[in-house]
Amino acid sequence: MRRTLSLTALPLLVLAAAAVVLIGGQAEQKAPPITQINAQVLGPQPLGPLPPVIHPPGNPPSSAKIQLGKELYFDPRLSADGTVSCATCHDPALGWSDKGPTSEGIHGQLGGRRAPPVSNAAYSPLQFWDGRSPSLEDQAKGPIQNPIEMGNTHEAMIQTVSTISAYEAEFKAVFGTGPITVDQVADAIACFERTVVTTDSRFDRYARGDHKALTPLEKEGLEIFNGKGHCTSCHWGPYFSDGRFHNLGVPPKDPKAPDVGRYAITKDPLDMGAFKTPTVRDASKRAPYLHDGSEKTLESLVDFYDRGGGKDPNLDPLMVPLGLTRHEKAALVAFIRSLDSLNPEVASVKAPALRDLPH
Amino acid sequence: MKKTLTTLFAVSAALLVLAQAALAIPAFARKHGFNCNMCHVAYPKLNDWGQRFRDNGYQIPGQQGLEKTVFQTAAPLALRTNAGYSLYGNSDQTAGGFHLYGLDLLSGGVLNKNISYLFIYTPRIDEPAADFSGPGAGDNPWQLAALESAAVVFSNIVRDKLNLRVGRFEPDFHLLSSKRSYYILQPYEIYDFAGTQSSFDFGANQLGLEATGRFKPGLRYALGYINGTGGNPDNNKFNDVYMTLSKVFGPGEGQSAGQRIGVFGYVGWQPTSTGGSIISPLGDLNGMDNRSYYRVGGDISLNWKTFNLEGLAFYGSDNQAFNTVDPTRRYDFWGGVAELDWADAADNRLVASVKYDWVRPPSDNGVHKVDAYSALARYYLGSWSAVNVALHAEFTHRESGSVVRIKDNLITLLIDFAF
Repeated sequence: MRRTLSLTALPLLVLAAAAVVLIGGQAEQKAPPITQINAQVLGPQPLGPLPPVIHPPGNPPSSAKIQLGKELYFDPRLSADGTVSCATCHDPALGWSDKGPTSEGIHGQLGGRRAPPVSNAAYSPLQFWDGRSPSLEDQAKGPIQNPIEMGNTHEAMIQTVSTISAYEAEFKAVFGTGPITVDQVADAIACFERTVVTTDSRFDRYARGDHKALTPLEKEGLEIFNGKGHCTSCHWGPYFSDGRFHNLGVPPKDPKAPDVGRYAITKDPLDMGAFKTPTVRDASKRAPYLHDGSEKTLESLVDFYDRGGGKDPNLDPLMVPLGLTRHEKAALVAFIRSLDSLNPEVASVKAPALRDLPH
Repeated sequence: MKKTLTTLFAVSAALLVLAQAALAIPAFARKHGFNCNMCHVAYPKLNDWGQRFRDNGYQIPGQQGLEKTVFQTAAPLALRTNAGYSLYGNSDQTAGGFHLYGLDLLSGGVLNKNISYLFIYTPRIDEPAADFSGPGAGDNPWQLAALESAAVVFSNIVRDKLNLRVGRFEPDFHLLSSKRSYYILQPYEIYDFAGTQSSFDFGANQLGLEATGRFKPGLRYALGYINGTGGNPDNNKFNDVYMTLSKVFGPGEGQSAGQRIGVFGYVGWQPTSTGGSIISPLGDLNGMDNRSYYRVGGDISLNWKTFNLEGLAFYGSDNQAFNTVDPTRRYDFWGGVAELDWADAADNRLVASVKYDWVRPPSDNGVHKVDAYSALARYYLGSWSAVNVALHAEFTHRESGSVVRIKDNLITLLIDFAF
């Protein structure tokens, strides 16, 4: 019996020890990504209404700062030739995105991706499709100096803003005396963007207890969204996004130069072709879909997921064919439309600062 | 009969009301806030996503380390039980009655990144009868207490390619899982079959360790080193080994999408004597300690729209020491199962299935020849997000023997409750 036990136990012990060493080794080699990606939540959260926005301590809100940020957001003079504002690509009328399929910057230049929605971006732990920016403040600085977006430099932009008399008083009221800085511009824009939150939709009313807020078809769609459709494996929580990065197998438009997505930032092969999960809130207003606008309608997008996404050697393991019936697809689309915001539209401003615009 | 059906209807209606009011859901779904059919085509059959979840150590595929552990969630507990009415008949008799068909207590979850566990306990049930499969099913207690599963999983030791399961678990040569079959009364006959004196139970959960992993595109393997005695101690000095290889064509895992083929082989040894006593009745009078047996077989799973056709067949051969019919030769047999499942209508609430089981023992042991034809329909009540309550109707016509055919019929109406 002793021999039997030792014959059995030895390989068990060796393998268990190897497992502990290897798993422990993995943990040491790679820092837990949770702190980098989403410090607020761990794992899937229930769907529901959005909680209040948390403003970072370094950029507390005020009505004057929000108003200033709003004016800057809609001001095309932040771009090199005065034709492109934040709102050009993140248009409130288009679900805070653009008409696509990809974004158009100065001189009609086309980017490789479409504009992620600004609405509810306050809840996203990382910004941009590849998550290269850790905050809205940091993100706001990027497009200004991107050569195919606003095509400017921070220095030239500050010079332009500083010469607009209407801004001078507003910056002084918000940030005090001293020269206007790019950080102040970014803080103001980010502060405004944190007010662009869709807290009211028919789904939110349903989630708050109004059982008549959704139709039977939409309720069926909600059930599919959180089950057979597998949508909540990525689009979870009140933000309807995990804030993480997934490769959906979207075929590259140029196979010789594919968009590597998150890989460009992390250099992790597992991030090759992975892009951030966008929120589903207001999705019906944001056609076309996916990071490159390759799916023109919600219906075709659902078909794409129903096929299990595209083909890619790094396809996310969450992507599986869904086997949805025609009726189930219709229910899913109906539910997604129930996430359309009922909040008052944020109108394009005719801000005091824009009175100086040349005509 | 009319009274019986009226009673059953009343009980079903009462449970329906309870189901709509209940909020609790089984452990994994409750933890993540997902509906049941995130992982299941319809409970208990896994879909492709659920298969990956299981293979990944009960962690969301690709998201290991990014979800709560059992220490950060509500108690990861669940139970499943079935209760209902069975009517059994053969040429001699007809019997019917209400039964409790079993109770599983389950717990499972993530202990730490890439370390998880699954624990299933079946308590002893004396009355009312459990595990009913006809009047000959045995005397009370009808369900013995057992630790059906108690396993720890070390996942992603090599990402996707090496996972290790240690303890008592459902071995991976069950390419067609009997634990997650829609059928509650009718087993996979071939899983329960062996030579006349062999104690090996192909369908049982086993004690040992198992390595699993997958390689792209769609190639999956399992290697196991186990006692081969179910939950019992191993009295011999050799453990059993097995290997499984499967390949999926197309996206998915072959559970609900993609087309899967698989092969497996199992080699085991059993003692013919223990403590000086010969336990092999006719063979091996010299008291040699161990004699071998093996199983080799294949599996196929084809998916088309909402249909899934699965088949599994294997050949078994037990040493002559276990053959009481003719101890001069090995006990060779084969058999299999073919099953067609359909899940559709109202988010997979309606499930239907037909199944054929066959067992072909050696010609001189034809009394154990089996042909069984089964069909079922299940309908899931209430919300998928709340609790699993399914109305279940199952019928089996079973014929056994070769010269004299014994024909049995078993029809069952029950409620399958998972909480």
